[in-house]
This record gives sequence, structure tokens and C-alpha cells, in this order.
Amino acid sequence: MKKGVNKMRYQIVIAGFGGQGSVFLVKILALCAGNKNVACLGTENHGMSQRGGAVSCTIKLGDYTNPVIDANQADLLIGLEKNEALRNISYLKQDGTLAVNADESFPKEDLKATTIQIDAFSKAKNKEFPIQGLNVYMLGIVLAKCEDFPFTLEDVKEALVQFNPKVAQQNIEVLEKAIADIKG
Amino acid sequence: MKQTLMGNDAIALGMIHSNIDMVSGYPGTPSSEILTNVQKLKKQMNLDLYAQWATNEKVGFEVAYAGAIAGRRAAATMKQVGLNVASDALMSAAYIGNLGAFVLVVADDPGFHSSQTEQDSRVFAKFAKIPVLDPATPQDGYDFVSLAADISEKFQTPTMLRPVMRVCHARQIVEVKEEFEFKPTKGEFKRDIPRWAAVPRAGRLRQGYEMIDRLEAIKEYNWEELIKPEFEACKGGKFLVLCSGTGYGFAKEALDDLGVEADIVKFKMPYPLPAEKIKEQFNNYEKVLVVEEPMPCIEEQILTEKVHGKLDNTMHIIDELQKVYIQDALKKLGLYDKENIYPVIPFKEEIPARPPNLCPGCPHRDVYYSIMKVFKKKKSIYPSDIGCYTLAINQDAIDTVLCMGASVSMASGFSIADPDKYTVATIGDSTFFHGGIPPLINAVYQKHKFLLVILDNSVVAMTGRQQPPQRQNGEVDIAKIAEGCGAKTFEYQYSNDLNNTIDFFKEMKKEYEKAEGPIVAVVREFCVLDKDVVNDHLPGEFSTVIEEKCIACDHCTTVYKCPPMAYNDDDKIEIDPFLCIGCGSCLNVVCPTEAFTLDEERGK
Repeated sequence: MKKGVNKMRYQIVIAGFGGQGSVFLVKILALCAGNKNVACLGTENHGMSQRGGAVSCTIKLGDYTNPVIDANQADLLIGLEKNEALRNISYLKQDGTLAVNADESFPKEDLKATTIQIDAFSKAKNKEFPIQGLNVYMLGIVLAKCEDFPFTLEDVKEALVQFNPKVAQQNIEVLEKAIADIKG
Repeated sequence: MKQTLMGNDAIALGMIHSNIDMVSGYPGTPSSEILTNVQKLKKQMNLDLYAQWATNEKVGFEVAYAGAIAGRRAAATMKQVGLNVASDALMSAAYIGNLGAFVLVVADDPGFHSSQTEQDSRVFAKFAKIPVLDPATPQDGYDFVSLAADISEKFQTPTMLRPVMRVCHARQIVEVKEEFEFKPTKGEFKRDIPRWAAVPRAGRLRQGYEMIDRLEAIKEYNWEELIKPEFEACKGGKFLVLCSGTGYGFAKEALDDLGVEADIVKFKMPYPLPAEKIKEQFNNYEKVLVVEEPMPCIEEQILTEKVHGKLDNTMHIIDELQKVYIQDALKKLGLYDKENIYPVIPFKEEIPARPPNLCPGCPHRDVYYSIMKVFKKKKSIYPSDIGCYTLAINQDAIDTVLCMGASVSMASGFSIADPDKYTVATIGDSTFFHGGIPPLINAVYQKHKFLLVILDNSVVAMTGRQQPPQRQNGEVDIAKIAEGCGAKTFEYQYSNDLNNTIDFFKEMKKEYEKAEGPIVAVVREFCVLDKDVVNDHLPGEFSTVIEEKCIACDHCTTVYKCPPMAYNDDDKIEIDPFLCIGCGSCLNVVCPTEAFTLDEERGK
């Protein structure tokens, strides 16, 4: 993907629940796309997000005309919580990538997708990173392990700074912590 | 210049860049952020314009419409069910018309994501005989505002912009004007009694004929300016797809995904259509498919034997569009015979639902808990209304939800139909202003006996915390309004000690027994998402569980239902420290075995 940037076509679903910052990730990825002069179109389920309900967002990078991702179409599913990942699994292509925040009970063996798994909740509970940074942490996991992900660490850092220079450093630390954690 | 914008941001910026200088409306998902963004842009760019919420959609429509009569460029914003409320004004305004632009932005919600109904406002525009534009993306949203304003001014008619949720809440990199100087219009009302005050029969009949002529002229414009270039760009295949709005986005992608060749014509203005000219084009094609949502607005206007869509069940007829429905339609038309490329393969086990809940610390929870404790379920009817508090349905504390303000009038009806029960209605402050006052007057007028609880958190919480009247201007007082309607009115300042709330409702029950008409309880609350005030209300009393005392009775997880409360691996309740906000409300009453206790460490 990193070669033919302008012909990029890549579909991402981000699944979580209210308060986890799915929409923030969409904004960051949209900035990454803009910086690379790639069109992007996405959609967010807003209504109940602040009341703890399930939230899913989509972002489609490339020449698309509709923001919805249909079943079996996503290249990447970022699951900020394990049940929300499973709830949205049908959007993911059979050979797509799932990056999921989940403990050992996650039924990885029942899924065809390439699964990248990390128990981010327990790391947050151990105060290894602030829970508010869970979204960025999972993006770090994707950067480290998702082979066809169209953006680099530098692209994401640039977008974080653009979005809010005041808190960018904190976010970059979470990002780098995630990369270090998953690479072991 | 390129900007990453949500559809509603794009529409708001489109308004500014079209010199729209009077905007009014009422919040409702998915439309709310439009007016909020106009307000933000006004502040950021220091613009001279009016951008304010109204008490309901009809009021918002009429404020803006008068502006357009007086020559200003005006817009009203609302969601589709809001247009039902404003429809009285719309139907007449369609006859009378306007001088300055009048853009009516109505956001639809195919798929019932946050709405009671799945109505198609394009069909409403057709019913009212006004033109409607249907954007497919945030970029269209930005571009079409200016087109709608120009059409409205050129033809002197209210013009609708109908984005759906997937436009309002889509995000896209949008090309917007770089250099722009905002030029508001100075309004001047010019007296024209036969026009602005046309009365039945002669005045309105004359305007009715004018409206027919106007529609013919708009059809001609639609053909020449918007549709003809689309047909001219067609390659000349055998299969034609007609669409508007998101129908275009879905159809284009599905045809590409499936490798089916077709000419696609996107109607920017799906009503009024020059039907005969469009039908002439069908001679070049074998089959025509219409892709639109949620209702067959285009299809009904251009129907011939070649046309397929919702009316002959080729396309789906309810719920949000999906590409698989287009694939199915192509199969039915014999244009696709390969495998289903959109198979839904869910996880083998059912995933537990995660419904939205009242927030941790929300005062509504305590109020509903207390109401149910005092006015027992078996002996009571609980009509409710539209707002965050509708989520108390999770606690079974709500029996009916109809439309804005209906809790009050339905309480009247239930009190007549089933007088042996207590009727306890609940309504939020903004919903009370919106539609609760006329039915309260009616109840006093007709001596309907019920308790109306007005949950006053002084914010329109569900739609993004817009400011209701009493917040922006303290002279409006709900208790005085209720008293002024003639209802015996009580006030209660919410306290995080549940004992106090329960005692208040016990008092209300005594009053109920004595009452001969409606009684009103105004509960002064706050919203935990309301950053300006929340810190004044939260005591920082975090709760924890004494495990030995927890008998796993389910009371807190099924009746009180505060989100941080859940069973741990040992089948004891545990408070999720990420979710608890320290309201302290569960420390009293909630647990029958008093297992909740103050977490001394965390409080510090």
C-alpha cells in the first residue's frame, strides 16, 4: 500500500463503546489522508455515543462515493473492546486484519482474519498508560503489526501534532509505548 | 481550499459562504450540529448574523421565514420529525413564497438510528410542492446550500435541502471557498397584503395557480441546468440507474464492486422532476433502476414499465440502504448472476447487546427510581417523552413514547381511560417548552388528574447540550409557566441522597390523592455532561462494594442500573473505576443489604 499512494483504496471499521474515542481516531486518520492527498470518506454513529452504547465508525481511504462499509468489505477492523470487535466482525474481509483490545479469553481461533491482540485494559489498569489514550494505543498496535496499513508512524505523529499540538506529545508517548509493547 | 469536515460542518460553512444571515431551528439528531456550527463560525469569524435555537421547529421555521419575506437570506434547520411540527407553516409558506432566500434544511434518518420514524422529507417537499435538493456527501452538502439559496431566490419559493444521516454525520475532505467576504443583507419588510396575508378563497387560489406555474418553471430549470448535462455525459449503455443523494454513493460503489455496466444519472433536485423529458431518455435503455432512500420519491414521478425500484419490490422498502440490496436488485433484473460479495457472517455466538444507558451520576436515574418506588408499577401508568430520559426505558420506568410533548396529553387520556391507576408523566425541560405547554393548559381546563414531573436539567442533553430558554435567559421559569397554566406546582432541588428524592415523591403521592386536576413537580437537576455546572454538583463520593455483603440479588443491575455496576468473576458486584464519577447516589437506599460504601481512598 505504501507504494501507490494515490490509488489507495483501504476501508477501516473502528468499533468500541461510548467514551473510548473512536471518533478521534477517524479525525486523525482523515488528517493522515489529507496530508497524503488521498480522498477519504467516513461516518460515525453519534446519537447515543456519550451514553455508553456501542459505537462504530468507518473511514474509507481512496476514491469512494459512500461512507458506509458493507459486510465483507473492510481491510482492517480496530476493536477497542473485544465484544464490539466480535459484533462488527462481519464487516471485515475474510483475509482482513483485526486489531483488538482483548484478554486471553478472546476466541481468536474462531476467526479467519489475521488477528493482532493485546490486553490494553489490563495495561491501563496497571497504570502503564492513561485509559483515555486507549484509542491511540490501539492505533500504535496497528502501526506496529498491520502489514498493509497505509500510513506510517511519522504520518500519524504529524496528524496528532496538527490536531492538537498541546496534547500531541502525550499521545505520541502512548503510541510509542504500544509499539514497544506489541513488539515485545 | 481543502478542509476535513463533517457533513453538518460543511452545510454550516455553506450557509456562511452563501451569505445566509438568519438561521433558526430546533435540535434533533442528525441535524443538530448545523446550527451549532453556524454559531461557532459566527463567533470565530465575528459575523453579523442571527443564529439561535427556537423553542420548537415551527417557531424556528417562522422566525427564519419572516426574515426571508423581509428580504434577508434565511435558513431553518431541523430533523425530519421536526418538519412534522413545522409542517403547518411549510404548507402555507409554499403558497406565499419569499423574497430573500429561504433554505429549509431537514435531516432524514433512514434506518431509524435516532428517530421514531423513517419518513422521507423529499416526499414532504413534493406534498408541499417546493423544490428539494438531495446531497450525497459533505461536499454536496456544502455546494448545495448555495444552489438551494439561489433557487429559492430565483423562484421565490422555500427550497429544501435534505441531507440524510450518512451525509450529516459523514466526514470528508471538502473543497471550500478560500477567499470570502460575508455580506449580510439589510432586511426591509415591504407591505404587500394580498401576498403576505393572502386569505381563502380567492387569495390562496390565486397563489395556488402561481405555485403550479412556478413548479413548471423549476422543472424546466432542473432539466436544463441540472439533469440534461448528466444524461449528456452518459455512455449509452443498455442499463440506466437513476438516483439522488446517498442512493448515488451506494449505487456507484456497488456497480463498481460487482462489475456491472450502467449509466448513472444523479438528480441533485429529486423534486420537481421534468417527467416527460426524462421518460424520453428511457427509449435508449432496456431497463431502468431507481436507487434512493428511504421512499420512492423519484420513482413515483417517472414510473413507466421499464422502471424498477421500490414500487415493484426490486429494491428494499424499509431500513437504511445497503449495497447488498442493489446486488439483489441486479440479480432480479438479470444483470448479475455471480456470488454474493457482501455475505454477512456474524460471530458464531450471540454478542450481548450494549444498549445506551443513562450516564453514571445522572439525576434522572434517581428520579425514576423514586417514582417507581412510590408509585408502584402495577398501579401506575408512566407516559414519557423524547429526550435522554427516554433511556429510563431500561429500568422499565417508561410505558409510552410517542412524540414531543405527548407525555402530557397522553397522561390526560390515560387518566380518563384508566382512572383507577396513578398516571405519572415525565418530560424534560426543553420538550416541555417545545410541546408540553398546550396539553398542560388542556389538562387544567378539563381537570385531568395526573402527576407531571418536569425533569429540568436546563440543557438539551440528548442532542449535544444546546441551551434551552431558561439557560440563556433566566426570565423564563418552568414553575411559573406551570402555575400560570393553572396547575398546582411543586419544586424539588435534586439531592444525591435518594432518601430525599423518595420523600419528595411520597409528598407528591399525598398531593395526588387530594388533587382534582393535574399537579406538576419541577425537579431541578443538572446534566453530568454539562461541563459548565457539573463540578458544582458532584461530591466526589466514589462508591465501592463490601463483597461479604453482596448477595448477588440483581437489584442494582436491573432496577437502579448504573453502568459501573457489574458482576465480577466471583459473582459479586464490582464498581468499574473508569466509569464511576463519584456522585454518591448509590450509597443510600439502592442496595438492600447495604453493600455499597464510600471508597475512602478514592474520595481523597
